[in-house]
Amino acid sequence: MTTEELDPLIHVPTRLKIVATLAALPDGDSLSFTRLQDMLGLTPGNLIIQLRKLEEAGYLSSEKTRNGSVQKTTVALTSNGRKALDAYTQALRGLLNGL
Amino acid sequence: MNPTPDTSTAGNGGNFDPRQAAALLDQTTQQTRRRLEPAQPWLLVIRAVVVLAVFGAVWLNVRGQHPYQHPTAAVIPVVIIFGVLNLVATVTVARRATAGVSGRTRMRWAEIAVGAVIWIAVFAVMPALAGAGVSDAVVYGWYPVTVPLIAAGLAWAGITAARADWRRCSIALAVAVTGAVALSAGPAGAWAVAGVGLCVTLLAHAAVIVWQQRRSVVRP
Repeated sequence: MTTEELDPLIHVPTRLKIVATLAALPDGDSLSFTRLQDMLGLTPGNLIIQLRKLEEAGYLSSEKTRNGSVQKTTVALTSNGRKALDAYTQALRGLLNGL
Repeated sequence: MNPTPDTSTAGNGGNFDPRQAAALLDQTTQQTRRRLEPAQPWLLVIRAVVVLAVFGAVWLNVRGQHPYQHPTAAVIPVVIIFGVLNLVATVTVARRATAGVSGRTRMRWAEIAVGAVIWIAVFAVMPALAGAGVSDAVVYGWYPVTVPLIAAGLAWAGITAARADWRRCSIALAVAVTGAVALSAGPAGAWAVAGVGLCVTLLAHAAVIVWQQRRSVVRP
C-alpha cells in the first residue's frame, strides 16, 4: 500500500483538520464558520478556500442564514464526506501497519 | 507523540507523512471532542464530591432520629443553593461548549425548561403532602430523595433517547435507578444510598467521557 491510495482531497493537513473536526460532531449536526475558524486557528480566507474544495467534492455542505443584518454560515460533513474519511482512516491504518 | 506539521500554510499533501497524518487526525479529533463536550468531566467530578458531601451531611443529620422527623432547617438552603448552582453551572458550561453548533448536540431551551419544571413541580408537591397528613418519613425522607431522581432521570432519559444519545440516556437511567434503590433503604438510609449512587454515577460518567475523548480514531 502506498500514500497514493490516500484520498488527496483529505490528505492535506488543513483539510484533514477540517474534516476531522466536523466528523467529531454527531451525524446531521453542523458548525458555524466562526466557531470552526476559532477551533482550527485558520484565517477566514484560507478556511474559505479549503471549505470550497471539500464542498465541490461533495464532502461537506454549507448553509447561509440571515438574521436581520447578520449572516451566519454553517458547515456540516455530508454522508459522502463521512464515508471518505472512514476510507481514508482505513487506508491510513493499512499504511501504518505496513511500516 | 509524533510531530504534527504546520497546518497554517499547507496547501497540498506532498510531504505529508502517514504517521503525521495519523497523529494529526487523532489530535484534532480528541481536541474537538473535548471542546464540544457539553458535560465537562471536571464539572462532573466536582458535582460528585459535592453531592456526596450534601447528601452525606443530611444522612448524618437524620440517621439518629427514631421516629424519623426531618433534616434540620439549616440543611434546606444548602440543598436549594446546590440545586440552583448545579443547574446554572450545567447550562452555562453546556452552552459555552456547544456555541456555534446546530443540531442535536446543542441543549435546547425547551429541554432545560422541562428539567427545571420537573424539579420545581416535585418540590411544590411537598407542602401538599404535609398538609394531607402524610407521615414525616415520606414527606421529608423518601419523597425528596427518591422522587426527584426518578422523575428527572426518566424525563432526561426520554429526551436523550429521542436524540439517540445513548451515553446520556444510560446515565439518566442510572440516576432513576439510584432513586428507586434508595426507596428500599428507609427514610434516613435513602439519603446515604442516593448520595453514594449519584456520586458513583457521576464519576462513571466522567470516566466514560474521558475514555471516549482519548480514544484513537486510527488505532481503535
